[in-house]
Amino acid sequence: MKTVTRAAFPSIFAVVATGAALLLGGSLVAQPGPAGKPTAAPQQPLKLTASAIQIERTDPPEDLQVPEDFRISTYENVILQVEKTKKFGHVYRSGDRRAADAPDLIILRMVPQAYKAGSQKQREVTTVSGGTSIKIRVTFSHRDGKVLLEKDLDGKVRFFGDNLRATYDFAKKVADVVNESF
Amino acid sequence: MQTRSTQVSQEVASNPGRTLRRSLWLAGAVVFALSMVIAATALPVFSRQPAAPQASPTSTISGVQCVIGCENIKPNSKGTISVVPTGLQFATDKDTAAISTASIEDIFVGNQSRQDVSGVGGTIAKAAIPYGGGRIVSLFSHKVEVLSVEYVDSNGGFHGAIYVLPVGQATSFRDQLVAQGAKVSAHVDAAVAPEEKQ
Repeated sequence: MKTVTRAAFPSIFAVVATGAALLLGGSLVAQPGPAGKPTAAPQQPLKLTASAIQIERTDPPEDLQVPEDFRISTYENVILQVEKTKKFGHVYRSGDRRAADAPDLIILRMVPQAYKAGSQKQREVTTVSGGTSIKIRVTFSHRDGKVLLEKDLDGKVRFFGDNLRATYDFAKKVADVVNESF
Repeated sequence: MQTRSTQVSQEVASNPGRTLRRSLWLAGAVVFALSMVIAATALPVFSRQPAAPQASPTSTISGVQCVIGCENIKPNSKGTISVVPTGLQFATDKDTAAISTASIEDIFVGNQSRQDVSGVGGTIAKAAIPYGGGRIVSLFSHKVEVLSVEYVDSNGGFHGAIYVLPVGQATSFRDQLVAQGAKVSAHVDAAVAPEEKQ
Protein backbone atom coordinates (compact mmCIF):
# COMPACT_ATOMS: atom_id res chain seq x y z
CA MET A 1 0.00 0.00 0.00
CA LYS A 2 2.86 2.24 0.91
CA THR A 3 4.62 1.50 -2.41
CA VAL A 4 1.46 2.30 -4.38
CA THR A 5 1.09 5.73 -2.68
CA ARG A 6 4.65 6.68 -3.49
CA ALA A 7 4.15 5.72 -7.15
CA ALA A 8 0.94 7.81 -7.44
CA PHE A 9 2.43 10.95 -5.93
CA PRO A 10 4.17 12.29 -9.07
CA SER A 11 1.11 11.88 -11.23
CA ILE A 12 -1.13 13.59 -8.66
CA PHE A 13 1.41 16.40 -8.39
CA ALA A 14 1.44 16.78 -12.15
CA VAL A 15 -2.36 17.06 -12.30
CA VAL A 16 -2.50 19.61 -9.48
CA ALA A 17 0.36 21.64 -10.98
CA THR A 18 -1.30 21.68 -14.41
CA GLY A 19 -4.59 22.81 -12.88
CA ALA A 20 -2.88 25.59 -10.95
CA ALA A 21 -1.05 26.74 -14.07
CA LEU A 22 -4.30 26.84 -16.03
CA LEU A 23 -6.04 28.84 -13.31
CA LEU A 24 -3.13 31.28 -13.09
CA GLY A 25 -3.06 31.76 -16.85
CA GLY A 26 -6.80 32.27 -17.01
CA SER A 27 -6.74 34.86 -14.27
CA LEU A 28 -3.94 36.76 -16.00
CA VAL A 29 -5.86 36.88 -19.27
CA ALA A 30 -9.03 38.03 -17.48
CA GLN A 31 -7.24 40.87 -15.65
CA PRO A 32 -8.16 44.37 -16.88
CA GLY A 33 -5.50 46.30 -18.71
CA PRO A 34 -3.65 49.29 -17.32
CA ALA A 35 -5.68 52.35 -16.40
CA GLY A 36 -6.50 54.65 -19.30
CA LYS A 37 -6.33 51.90 -21.93
CA PRO A 38 -9.80 50.61 -22.73
CA THR A 39 -10.06 46.87 -23.01
CA ALA A 40 -11.29 45.34 -26.21
CA ALA A 41 -13.83 42.96 -24.68
CA PRO A 42 -16.61 45.28 -23.34
CA GLN A 43 -17.37 47.81 -26.08
CA GLN A 44 -18.89 50.78 -24.22
CA PRO A 45 -19.44 54.20 -25.84
CA LEU A 46 -17.02 56.85 -24.73
CA LYS A 47 -18.68 59.11 -22.19
CA LEU A 48 -18.40 62.87 -22.43
CA THR A 49 -17.59 64.88 -19.36
CA ALA A 50 -18.53 68.43 -18.44
CA SER A 51 -19.20 70.26 -15.23
CA ALA A 52 -21.66 72.71 -16.74
CA ILE A 53 -24.05 73.00 -19.64
CA GLN A 54 -25.66 76.01 -21.23
CA ILE A 55 -28.94 75.49 -23.03
CA GLU A 56 -29.55 77.87 -25.87
CA ARG A 57 -33.05 78.91 -26.85
CA THR A 58 -34.64 77.12 -29.78
CA ASP A 59 -34.06 78.94 -33.00
CA PRO A 60 -36.11 77.67 -35.95
CA PRO A 61 -35.05 78.38 -39.52
CA GLU A 62 -36.83 81.19 -41.30
CA ASP A 63 -38.85 78.88 -43.51
CA LEU A 64 -40.31 76.95 -40.58
CA GLN A 65 -42.97 78.52 -38.42
CA VAL A 66 -43.15 77.13 -34.92
CA PRO A 67 -45.59 78.77 -32.47
CA GLU A 68 -43.94 80.80 -29.75
CA ASP A 69 -45.54 78.79 -26.97
CA PHE A 70 -44.07 75.66 -28.53
CA ARG A 71 -40.58 77.17 -28.62
CA ILE A 72 -40.79 78.40 -25.06
CA SER A 73 -42.22 75.13 -23.81
CA THR A 74 -39.46 73.17 -25.56
CA TYR A 75 -36.74 75.32 -24.01
CA GLU A 76 -38.19 75.24 -20.50
CA ASN A 77 -38.96 71.52 -20.58
CA VAL A 78 -35.43 70.70 -21.73
CA ILE A 79 -33.97 72.76 -18.89
CA LEU A 80 -36.18 70.96 -16.37
CA GLN A 81 -35.33 67.50 -17.71
CA VAL A 82 -31.57 68.15 -18.02
CA GLU A 83 -31.53 69.45 -14.45
CA LYS A 84 -33.26 66.25 -13.35
CA THR A 85 -30.45 64.10 -14.79
CA LYS A 86 -28.02 65.65 -12.25
CA LYS A 87 -25.16 65.09 -14.71
CA PHE A 88 -23.94 68.68 -14.51
CA GLY A 89 -22.98 70.91 -11.65
CA HIS A 90 -24.66 73.88 -13.29
CA VAL A 91 -27.32 74.20 -15.94
CA TYR A 92 -27.12 77.69 -17.38
CA ARG A 93 -29.84 79.34 -19.37
CA SER A 94 -29.31 81.05 -22.68
CA GLY A 95 -27.62 84.39 -22.15
CA ASP A 96 -26.56 83.71 -18.56
CA ARG A 97 -23.36 85.71 -17.99
CA ARG A 98 -22.09 83.31 -15.32
CA ALA A 99 -21.54 80.63 -17.98
CA ALA A 100 -18.52 82.58 -19.24
CA ASP A 101 -16.58 81.59 -16.12
CA ALA A 102 -17.47 77.88 -16.25
CA PRO A 103 -14.25 75.88 -16.90
CA ASP A 104 -15.54 73.04 -19.08
CA LEU A 105 -18.80 74.22 -20.48
CA ILE A 106 -20.88 72.35 -23.02
CA ILE A 107 -23.45 74.20 -25.08
CA LEU A 108 -26.71 72.56 -26.13
CA ARG A 109 -28.32 74.00 -29.25
CA MET A 110 -31.73 73.04 -30.61
CA VAL A 111 -32.79 73.77 -34.17
CA PRO A 112 -36.31 72.68 -35.16
CA GLN A 113 -36.38 70.70 -38.40
CA ALA A 114 -40.08 69.95 -38.78
CA TYR A 115 -43.29 70.78 -37.01
CA LYS A 116 -46.76 69.33 -37.45
CA ALA A 117 -49.58 70.89 -35.51
CA GLY A 118 -52.32 68.48 -34.50
CA SER A 119 -55.63 68.74 -32.71
CA GLN A 120 -56.43 67.39 -29.28
CA LYS A 121 -60.10 67.00 -30.17
CA GLN A 122 -59.28 65.09 -33.36
CA ARG A 123 -56.90 62.81 -31.47
CA GLU A 124 -59.41 61.94 -28.80
CA VAL A 125 -62.30 61.43 -31.20
CA THR A 126 -60.51 59.43 -33.89
CA THR A 127 -57.47 58.01 -31.99
CA VAL A 128 -55.64 57.62 -35.32
CA SER A 129 -55.23 61.19 -36.52
CA GLY A 130 -54.55 64.64 -35.15
CA GLY A 131 -51.14 63.87 -33.69
CA THR A 132 -48.74 66.71 -32.96
CA SER A 133 -45.04 66.23 -33.61
CA ILE A 134 -41.87 68.25 -33.65
CA LYS A 135 -38.45 67.20 -34.87
CA ILE A 136 -35.43 69.05 -33.53
CA ARG A 137 -31.71 68.72 -34.21
CA VAL A 138 -29.85 68.66 -30.92
CA THR A 139 -26.17 69.58 -30.89
CA PHE A 140 -23.78 69.34 -27.95
CA SER A 141 -20.65 71.37 -28.59
CA HIS A 142 -17.70 72.96 -26.87
CA ARG A 143 -17.50 76.66 -26.32
CA ASP A 144 -15.20 76.95 -29.34
CA GLY A 145 -17.82 75.37 -31.58
CA LYS A 146 -16.39 71.86 -31.81
CA VAL A 147 -19.35 69.51 -32.11
CA LEU A 148 -19.27 66.62 -29.65
CA LEU A 149 -22.61 65.03 -30.36
CA GLU A 150 -25.42 65.68 -32.79
CA LYS A 151 -28.78 63.93 -32.99
CA ASP A 152 -32.22 64.42 -34.45
CA LEU A 153 -34.88 63.86 -31.84
CA ASP A 154 -38.63 64.13 -32.08
CA GLY A 155 -41.44 64.80 -29.67
CA LYS A 156 -44.94 63.47 -30.25
CA VAL A 157 -48.35 63.39 -28.70
CA ARG A 158 -50.55 60.77 -30.32
CA PHE A 159 -53.52 60.05 -28.08
CA PHE A 160 -54.07 62.02 -24.90
CA GLY A 161 -52.85 65.38 -23.77
CA ASP A 162 -52.63 68.84 -25.26
CA ASN A 163 -50.31 69.79 -28.10
CA LEU A 164 -47.57 71.15 -25.83
CA ARG A 165 -47.10 67.69 -24.40
CA ALA A 166 -45.02 66.94 -27.51
CA THR A 167 -42.36 69.27 -26.11
CA TYR A 168 -42.31 67.30 -22.85
CA ASP A 169 -41.84 64.08 -24.84
CA PHE A 170 -38.95 65.69 -26.72
CA ALA A 171 -37.34 66.92 -23.50
CA LYS A 172 -37.47 63.43 -22.01
CA LYS A 173 -35.58 62.14 -25.04
CA VAL A 174 -32.94 64.85 -24.64
CA ALA A 175 -32.54 63.73 -21.03
CA ASP A 176 -32.09 60.14 -22.21
CA VAL A 177 -29.31 61.26 -24.56
CA VAL A 178 -27.64 63.15 -21.72
CA ASN A 179 -27.85 60.10 -19.49
CA GLU A 180 -26.34 57.88 -22.18
CA SER A 181 -23.59 60.24 -23.27
CA PHE A 182 -22.42 61.93 -20.05
CA MET B 1 -124.55 89.06 -10.50
CA GLN B 2 -126.76 86.73 -12.36
CA THR B 3 -128.44 89.74 -13.97
CA ARG B 4 -125.06 91.18 -15.12
CA SER B 5 -123.82 87.94 -16.64
CA THR B 6 -127.10 87.67 -18.41
CA GLN B 7 -126.55 91.21 -19.78
CA VAL B 8 -123.01 90.35 -20.98
CA SER B 9 -124.27 87.21 -22.62
CA GLN B 10 -126.90 89.20 -24.36
CA GLU B 11 -124.31 91.79 -25.45
CA VAL B 12 -121.99 89.08 -26.86
CA ALA B 13 -124.83 87.52 -28.63
CA SER B 14 -125.92 90.85 -30.10
CA ASN B 15 -122.41 92.08 -31.20
CA PRO B 16 -119.90 89.21 -31.62
CA GLY B 17 -117.49 91.20 -33.88
CA ARG B 18 -116.90 93.85 -31.28
CA THR B 19 -116.15 91.27 -28.62
CA LEU B 20 -113.67 89.54 -30.90
CA ARG B 21 -111.85 92.80 -31.61
CA ARG B 22 -111.67 93.59 -27.94
CA SER B 23 -110.22 90.16 -27.20
CA LEU B 24 -107.64 90.52 -29.94
CA TRP B 25 -106.68 93.96 -28.71
CA LEU B 26 -106.23 92.63 -25.16
CA ALA B 27 -104.16 89.66 -26.35
CA GLY B 28 -101.95 91.97 -28.42
CA ALA B 29 -101.39 94.26 -25.46
CA VAL B 30 -100.41 91.34 -23.26
CA VAL B 31 -98.00 89.99 -25.90
CA PHE B 32 -96.46 93.43 -26.40
CA ALA B 33 -95.99 93.92 -22.65
CA LEU B 34 -94.41 90.50 -22.27
CA SER B 35 -92.03 91.09 -25.18
CA MET B 36 -90.99 94.43 -23.70
CA VAL B 37 -90.25 92.78 -20.35
CA ILE B 38 -88.23 90.00 -22.02
CA ALA B 39 -86.32 92.47 -24.17
CA ALA B 40 -85.49 94.63 -21.17
CA THR B 41 -84.12 91.67 -19.21
CA ALA B 42 -82.21 90.23 -22.19
CA LEU B 43 -80.63 93.51 -23.25
CA PRO B 44 -77.61 93.32 -20.93
CA VAL B 45 -76.96 89.70 -21.98
CA PHE B 46 -76.99 90.43 -25.71
CA SER B 47 -75.05 93.63 -25.35
CA ARG B 48 -72.16 91.74 -23.64
CA GLN B 49 -69.95 90.98 -26.60
CA PRO B 50 -66.96 88.61 -26.33
CA ALA B 51 -64.66 91.58 -26.67
CA ALA B 52 -66.12 93.32 -23.64
CA PRO B 53 -63.37 92.12 -21.26
CA GLN B 54 -60.86 93.91 -23.48
CA ALA B 55 -62.78 97.13 -23.18
CA SER B 56 -62.78 96.95 -19.40
CA PRO B 57 -59.39 95.47 -18.51
CA THR B 58 -59.34 93.13 -15.58
CA SER B 59 -56.06 93.10 -13.71
CA THR B 60 -56.69 89.90 -11.75
CA ILE B 61 -58.01 86.57 -12.97
CA SER B 62 -58.24 83.40 -10.94
CA GLY B 63 -58.25 79.83 -12.23
CA VAL B 64 -55.44 80.54 -14.70
CA GLN B 65 -53.10 77.70 -15.59
CA CYS B 66 -49.35 78.27 -15.65
CA VAL B 67 -48.28 75.64 -18.18
CA ILE B 68 -44.56 76.06 -17.61
CA GLY B 69 -41.94 78.62 -16.73
CA CYS B 70 -43.21 79.99 -13.43
CA GLU B 71 -40.31 80.15 -10.98
CA ASN B 72 -40.66 77.77 -8.04
CA ILE B 73 -44.11 76.69 -9.20
CA LYS B 74 -44.81 73.26 -10.63
CA PRO B 75 -45.84 73.08 -14.30
CA ASN B 76 -49.59 73.09 -14.99
CA SER B 77 -50.41 74.67 -11.64
CA LYS B 78 -53.55 76.75 -11.36
CA GLY B 79 -53.59 80.09 -9.63
CA THR B 80 -54.32 83.78 -9.90
CA ILE B 81 -52.65 86.02 -12.44
CA SER B 82 -52.57 89.74 -12.00
CA VAL B 83 -50.97 92.83 -13.40
CA VAL B 84 -49.31 94.72 -10.56
CA PRO B 85 -47.48 98.06 -10.84
CA THR B 86 -44.16 96.23 -11.09
CA GLY B 87 -45.23 93.75 -13.74
CA LEU B 88 -46.94 90.38 -13.96
CA GLN B 89 -47.60 88.16 -10.96
CA PHE B 90 -48.83 84.59 -10.73
CA ALA B 91 -49.77 83.19 -7.34
CA THR B 92 -50.83 79.77 -6.19
CA ASP B 93 -51.83 78.78 -2.68
CA LYS B 94 -48.18 78.17 -1.80
CA ASP B 95 -45.92 80.30 -3.99
CA THR B 96 -45.78 83.44 -6.04
CA ALA B 97 -43.85 84.04 -9.24
CA ALA B 98 -43.31 87.58 -10.44
CA ILE B 99 -41.99 89.00 -13.70
CA SER B 100 -40.92 92.61 -13.67
CA THR B 101 -42.00 94.77 -16.58
CA ALA B 102 -38.44 95.88 -17.29
CA SER B 103 -37.27 92.29 -17.73
CA ILE B 104 -39.92 91.39 -20.32
CA GLU B 105 -38.47 91.00 -23.81
CA ASP B 106 -41.54 89.89 -25.71
CA ILE B 107 -45.17 88.90 -25.26
CA PHE B 108 -47.17 86.61 -27.50
CA VAL B 109 -50.88 85.83 -27.56
CA GLY B 110 -52.24 82.73 -29.25
CA ASN B 111 -55.48 80.81 -29.47
CA GLN B 112 -56.06 77.20 -28.58
CA SER B 113 -58.95 74.96 -27.72
CA ARG B 114 -59.10 72.79 -24.64
CA GLN B 115 -61.23 69.76 -23.97
CA ASP B 116 -64.05 70.30 -21.49
CA VAL B 117 -63.38 66.87 -19.99
CA SER B 118 -59.68 66.17 -19.76
CA GLY B 119 -56.99 64.97 -17.42
CA VAL B 120 -56.53 61.50 -15.97
CA GLY B 121 -59.95 61.45 -14.32
CA GLY B 122 -61.69 62.72 -17.43
CA THR B 123 -59.92 60.19 -19.62
CA ILE B 124 -60.92 57.33 -17.35
CA ALA B 125 -64.50 58.59 -17.24
CA LYS B 126 -64.62 58.84 -21.02
CA ALA B 127 -63.20 55.35 -21.39
CA ALA B 128 -65.85 54.03 -19.02
CA ILE B 129 -68.73 55.24 -21.18
CA PRO B 130 -70.00 52.24 -23.18
CA TYR B 131 -70.37 52.01 -26.95
CA GLY B 132 -67.69 54.63 -27.58
CA GLY B 133 -69.69 57.37 -25.91
CA GLY B 134 -66.49 58.89 -24.62
CA ARG B 135 -65.71 60.08 -28.12
CA ILE B 136 -68.92 62.11 -28.11
CA VAL B 137 -67.81 63.74 -24.87
CA SER B 138 -64.48 64.56 -26.54
CA LEU B 139 -66.33 66.72 -29.05
CA PHE B 140 -67.01 69.32 -26.38
CA SER B 141 -64.24 71.84 -26.08
CA HIS B 142 -63.79 75.51 -25.38
CA LYS B 143 -61.52 78.21 -26.72
CA VAL B 144 -58.74 79.61 -24.58
CA GLU B 145 -56.02 82.16 -25.06
CA VAL B 146 -52.37 81.44 -24.42
CA LEU B 147 -50.18 84.21 -23.06
CA SER B 148 -46.46 83.60 -23.56
CA VAL B 149 -43.99 85.94 -21.89
CA GLU B 150 -40.26 85.97 -22.61
CA TYR B 151 -38.06 87.66 -20.02
CA VAL B 152 -34.53 87.67 -18.63
CA ASP B 153 -33.36 87.24 -15.06
CA SER B 154 -30.78 89.35 -13.21
CA ASN B 155 -27.93 87.27 -14.72
CA GLY B 156 -29.16 87.68 -18.26
CA GLY B 157 -30.62 84.16 -18.43
CA PHE B 158 -33.53 83.78 -20.81
CA HIS B 159 -36.86 82.56 -19.40
CA GLY B 160 -40.24 81.87 -20.86
CA ALA B 161 -43.59 81.51 -19.13
CA ILE B 162 -46.83 80.23 -20.63
CA TYR B 163 -50.27 80.92 -19.17
CA VAL B 164 -53.69 79.70 -20.32
CA LEU B 165 -56.43 82.30 -19.86
CA PRO B 166 -60.08 82.69 -20.86
CA VAL B 167 -60.72 84.13 -24.31
CA GLY B 168 -60.06 87.87 -24.53
CA GLN B 169 -58.13 88.14 -21.31
CA ALA B 170 -54.63 87.48 -22.66
CA THR B 171 -54.88 90.40 -25.04
CA SER B 172 -56.00 92.62 -22.20
CA PHE B 173 -53.03 91.54 -20.08
CA ARG B 174 -50.61 92.13 -22.93
CA ASP B 175 -52.01 95.61 -23.49
CA GLN B 176 -51.67 96.46 -19.82
CA LEU B 177 -48.07 95.26 -19.71
CA VAL B 178 -47.23 97.17 -22.88
CA ALA B 179 -48.75 100.26 -21.31
CA GLN B 180 -46.39 99.74 -18.37
CA GLY B 181 -43.43 99.69 -20.74
CA ALA B 182 -42.94 96.02 -21.60
CA LYS B 183 -41.15 95.35 -24.87
CA VAL B 184 -43.12 93.66 -27.64
CA SER B 185 -41.74 92.95 -31.07
CA ALA B 186 -43.80 92.84 -34.24
CA HIS B 187 -44.32 89.23 -35.17
CA VAL B 188 -46.50 86.92 -37.18
CA ASP B 189 -48.91 84.87 -35.14
CA ALA B 190 -47.80 81.33 -35.91
CA ALA B 191 -50.91 79.91 -34.26
CA VAL B 192 -53.01 80.96 -37.23
CA ALA B 193 -50.45 79.82 -39.76
CA PRO B 194 -51.09 76.71 -41.87
CA GLU B 195 -51.38 73.80 -39.52
CA GLU B 196 -48.92 71.49 -41.17
CA LYS B 197 -45.41 72.29 -42.21
CA GLN B 198 -42.80 69.67 -42.78
